[in-house]
Amino acid sequence: MRVALSVALAATATALGACSATSPDSGGGPPEPSEQGITLYSGRIPSAIGGAIDMYEAKADRDVQVRFGDTGDLAATLVEEGDNSPADVFFAQEPGAIGAVAARGLLAKLPRDVLDRVPPQYRDPEGGWVGITGRARCIAYGPDVSRSELPPSPLDLTGARWKGRVGWSPASDSLQQYVTALRLRYGDDVASDWLEGMVANDAVDYPDNVAIRDAIANGEIEVGLINHYYVAQAIAAEGPDYPVSVYFPPAGLGSLLLLASAGVLQSSDRKEEAFDFLRSLLSPESQRYFTSSSKEYPLAEGVKPDPTLTVPLSGIPAPRGNLNDITQIQATIELMQDAGAL
Amino acid sequence: MTVVASAAPLRLSGLRKAYGEVPAVDGVELEVEAGSICALLGPSGCGKTTTLRLIAGLERPDAGEIEIGERTVNAPGRFVAPERRRIGMVFQDYALFPHLDVAGNVGYGLGRRPDRDRVAEVLALVGLEADARRPVHELSGGQQQRVALARALAPTPEVVLLDEPFSNLDAGLRDRLRQEIREILLNAGVTALFVTHDQAEALSIAETVAVMREGRVEQVGTPEEIYSRPASRWVASFLGEIEVVPGQAAEGRVECELGTFPAEQVEGPVDVLVRPESIAIGLNGPDGAAEAEVVNRRFFGHDQLVELRLRSGQVVRSRRLGFPAWHPGDHIRAWVDGPADVMPRDPVG
Amino acid sequence: MEAGAGAFGDAAAPRGRRSSLLSRRRPPLVILLAGVAIGACVILPAAYLVIVVAGDLGPALDTALDSRTAGVVGRTLGLAAAVTATSIAIALPIAWLTVRTDLPGRRLWATLCTLPLVIPTYVGAYLFVAALGPNGLLRDALGVERLPSIYGFSGAWIVLTLFTYPLVLLPLRSALRRIDPQLEDAARAMGRGPFQTFRSVVMPQLWPALAAGGLLVALFVMSDFGAVSILRFDSFTQEIYISYKSSFDRTATAGLGIVLVVLMLALLWIGSRIRSARATHRLGPGPARPPRPYALGAWRWPALASCSALVLIALVLPVGVLVYWASQGISAGSTSLSLAAGLAANSLMTGIGAAIAGGLAALVIAVLVGRYPGPLTRTIERAGHAGYALPGIVVALALVFFATRAVPILYQTLAMLIFALSVHYLPLAIGPIGAALAQVSPRVEEAARGLGRGPTEVFRTVTAPLLRGGILAGAALVFVHAIKELPATLILAPIGFRTLATEIWNQTSYGFYEASAIPALILLLIAAPPLYLLSERGTVAS
Repeated sequence: MRVALSVALAATATALGACSATSPDSGGGPPEPSEQGITLYSGRIPSAIGGAIDMYEAKADRDVQVRFGDTGDLAATLVEEGDNSPADVFFAQEPGAIGAVAARGLLAKLPRDVLDRVPPQYRDPEGGWVGITGRARCIAYGPDVSRSELPPSPLDLTGARWKGRVGWSPASDSLQQYVTALRLRYGDDVASDWLEGMVANDAVDYPDNVAIRDAIANGEIEVGLINHYYVAQAIAAEGPDYPVSVYFPPAGLGSLLLLASAGVLQSSDRKEEAFDFLRSLLSPESQRYFTSSSKEYPLAEGVKPDPTLTVPLSGIPAPRGNLNDITQIQATIELMQDAGAL
Repeated sequence: MTVVASAAPLRLSGLRKAYGEVPAVDGVELEVEAGSICALLGPSGCGKTTTLRLIAGLERPDAGEIEIGERTVNAPGRFVAPERRRIGMVFQDYALFPHLDVAGNVGYGLGRRPDRDRVAEVLALVGLEADARRPVHELSGGQQQRVALARALAPTPEVVLLDEPFSNLDAGLRDRLRQEIREILLNAGVTALFVTHDQAEALSIAETVAVMREGRVEQVGTPEEIYSRPASRWVASFLGEIEVVPGQAAEGRVECELGTFPAEQVEGPVDVLVRPESIAIGLNGPDGAAEAEVVNRRFFGHDQLVELRLRSGQVVRSRRLGFPAWHPGDHIRAWVDGPADVMPRDPVG
Repeated sequence: MEAGAGAFGDAAAPRGRRSSLLSRRRPPLVILLAGVAIGACVILPAAYLVIVVAGDLGPALDTALDSRTAGVVGRTLGLAAAVTATSIAIALPIAWLTVRTDLPGRRLWATLCTLPLVIPTYVGAYLFVAALGPNGLLRDALGVERLPSIYGFSGAWIVLTLFTYPLVLLPLRSALRRIDPQLEDAARAMGRGPFQTFRSVVMPQLWPALAAGGLLVALFVMSDFGAVSILRFDSFTQEIYISYKSSFDRTATAGLGIVLVVLMLALLWIGSRIRSARATHRLGPGPARPPRPYALGAWRWPALASCSALVLIALVLPVGVLVYWASQGISAGSTSLSLAAGLAANSLMTGIGAAIAGGLAALVIAVLVGRYPGPLTRTIERAGHAGYALPGIVVALALVFFATRAVPILYQTLAMLIFALSVHYLPLAIGPIGAALAQVSPRVEEAARGLGRGPTEVFRTVTAPLLRGGILAGAALVFVHAIKELPATLILAPIGFRTLATEIWNQTSYGFYEASAIPALILLLIAAPPLYLLSERGTVAS
């Protein structure tokens, strides 16, 4: 009897909860759903975007409902939702995802002023998306390696000196984008040779960039190919004695900039508010927030990067060719699989 | 004493049911009088339980009709669901509801809010009025069986079906309960059909016995009729020990080693079927008694089984009172002093 | 005494299995309709795959028939087989020790050995990397230079085994409790030693439970994504992930998904062959007296040592790492307990909702399969396994597809999420309910019919109350899995609806492992009581 009663209570409570179309954000006070609120699908986790959202909500007095998730999953969801998507803005951490969404015509053309906030190489030529922040590929190295030993290009890491001492993460999107950039700049053969060389040189395979950084920190490997901001974040958290340092190889696209970009959905009913949100993300305050909290490069014109980023944006090659073209990424994956890297 | 308002007669005609290739019930015909107790007797696999389940509506027949009183519950194109047949069922394993107590079980067939008086009445009928609130798993086998019966009787069914109701009980308990259940059923005045493979049970409880074999009813009759006038050799041997003595029939009489008997409508070589308890033995016998020699004797206290060799060499058994004590080698006379059945000698039998 | 033996004493009954005798028994309309409706729901993920593939057969076929796919299939099946084998190897002795011997504290051991199920495999994977990986805590604690590699096949094998073997342990314990010890006594009296007796008398009766539990483990391994991704094992789910992330081309991905469904059907078929070939007789309602516990004697010490080792590795180690991190986190001030309470409430709502929906749906399916077997009901049960074998992201995308087209009002509501999770985990609940149903004699239901109640009423007043233990056990299993689930939750939950699982993901995807410890510990705390109940009560016939 008691069991039946408690089950009934639980069922009622759940039914009540389930019938509500949205559920208030737990932990904070339930926000008043505003008529003009917008919905954001974000591939960035709360701690990497929360501040920018707060700034926007305060300034525009509008509510932002965020669905956090893996960028790829969110893109697949947007594709599946099609015209029925409740999303207004999509913030992608990888170019392939937003490229795929754009290729299906799901993104609205952004207004001129939004696009012009960033230099032309950091936005979609078709006008569907705009880069918000950038992160640079780099070679991270540990205390047992001196800077002078590091090669000018990641392509040299296939040498005997580095056998078994390099960590990389073929499963991560950032490495895949690097390989795509290699292919577009130097051709498939160069990329393929490098991949096979790395495999033959016993490059250590890690699930993600964080694992590489940690592995360098405890001496498991000497160098690794990751994105710069993981190190910058660790230094900010642990202090300047953190044993891992960053080196931007000047050649071989070693410091390729990868973009985190955002776009507005064509299916959105609130495009104006969505454009406003993008403007806010590109505003100096938000850009300063991004660069100081996650140590990424701000892409908006005229914003200075965080002091810890010693190499200016101009010193980092922008991606050439279209990294967002999905067919490119597909070809990259196949190449990597053929080379035995994936 | 509770009287059931409407005991109804039960009629089965042409009932057939097959599972795959094998016919379990193969053209069963049976009529049970309202208010009487009938036993469906047969060996394992003869189809008696299937017949019961067909009557209950738990299986659908392939052909045939079942009538309960005025109503036809089974006919080509007609099937009345079990819950509407007003039939009570008692299963071999009682099938009591483990989650309800005794009163809950008994009252289940009386609707959502069972009449407590009626429940008490029926429980008193089976002698369990003090146990109404007990959980069923605390009861002994005999008590569970009585609860099962009470449960079946409570909604005043027209017919009660019992499936081997005593086979789960200790031997000592069995006989006592047989009589009790018989009394209860007769008092309730309900039509009862029970299935059993135990011939002693069928003969002692039922008013009518239907003997089944391989899906068919071989013979229907009172216990005495079945026992002393079996319709076939098979029925005869199923119901008890028989002795088969060859003889010759002519002009209405048959002669065999154990004597002469009337024999209508048979001619030529016949078999005489006699029960051991109808074979009398003694130092002297009436005229025509056979000469015999005792081969073996087994003593059971209240009776004895004596094996004797007739002059032809055939060995027959006699089951009579335990005295006098015979010994192997005694020369005695043997004759028949009870019913004897005569059948044409059929090699297949 | 075997239920059903008396009613069909007829030797004519073929095969002695009741189900084959029930030709054309129609289930009551309500239950049949419910079953068909449920079947339609659970088939949605597979239907989605078929629809997508049908749209553009070419790429789907190319991917499916690619030689690389064959290699991945082989690897994944290999992993599934290995994990299943070791899960059985662990679960069988533990089940026997805790049910049939005089092991000291066996109820406690039973609970402890079942608890690893509460740990999500992705959490377990990163805990193991943390403990045993290059940066491992254990490495410092043990002071060694290098620990054996945790990545790849061996890592995935170990981690998946440790956190899924309880899926075999639960049905095994349940089956062991229902075995009649008299059979073993007879064997012993005939001169068979304990091992021989076990092998020749007990094992045949355990095959159905082994097959059922093993199947759940195998399908779980095939659908797992989080653990194999962290441990860098290229399994089928990784292929699917790479496929749709590289091209966002649904057709190729759907092609792979269909391969997965075909594999699952093959596994199901194998499982049912094992069950029907080996099920020598149905277990009765339980022995009249509880079996005498087998005296371990000096073997007690090795037994205790093994149990301790297992609990240490599968439970103490992961929880220990979490507690350690939580303490770091609290002292560094980076975790908020009030936030955690809100997350816990959401997780509870999700879990309870899925448990109720899944439990009820499984009840209908179990009754249909157990009482009214036939081609239609078997198909529905098999279809249900499709939702379980497919990765959560595919289930989620399938529902996105259908919901946005058919019922947009329900899209991204908690109701839809609960629906998705119950579809995903339905097969887990069918097992315990089916086992409980097997113990309810059909005679009891027939008696109720004879007493004037229709089939639906009989179900309500007699069958369902007797199944209560099984229903609770099934619901508990669904609950534990639903609160651990991640990809579907991220996609389908209402916006802003954060659960413990999503919070763990938030923290770990940027490497903030310490911050993930408190939500992870709360998750374990919430999941533990139902699992304890499962282990204790769910195995006893109600």
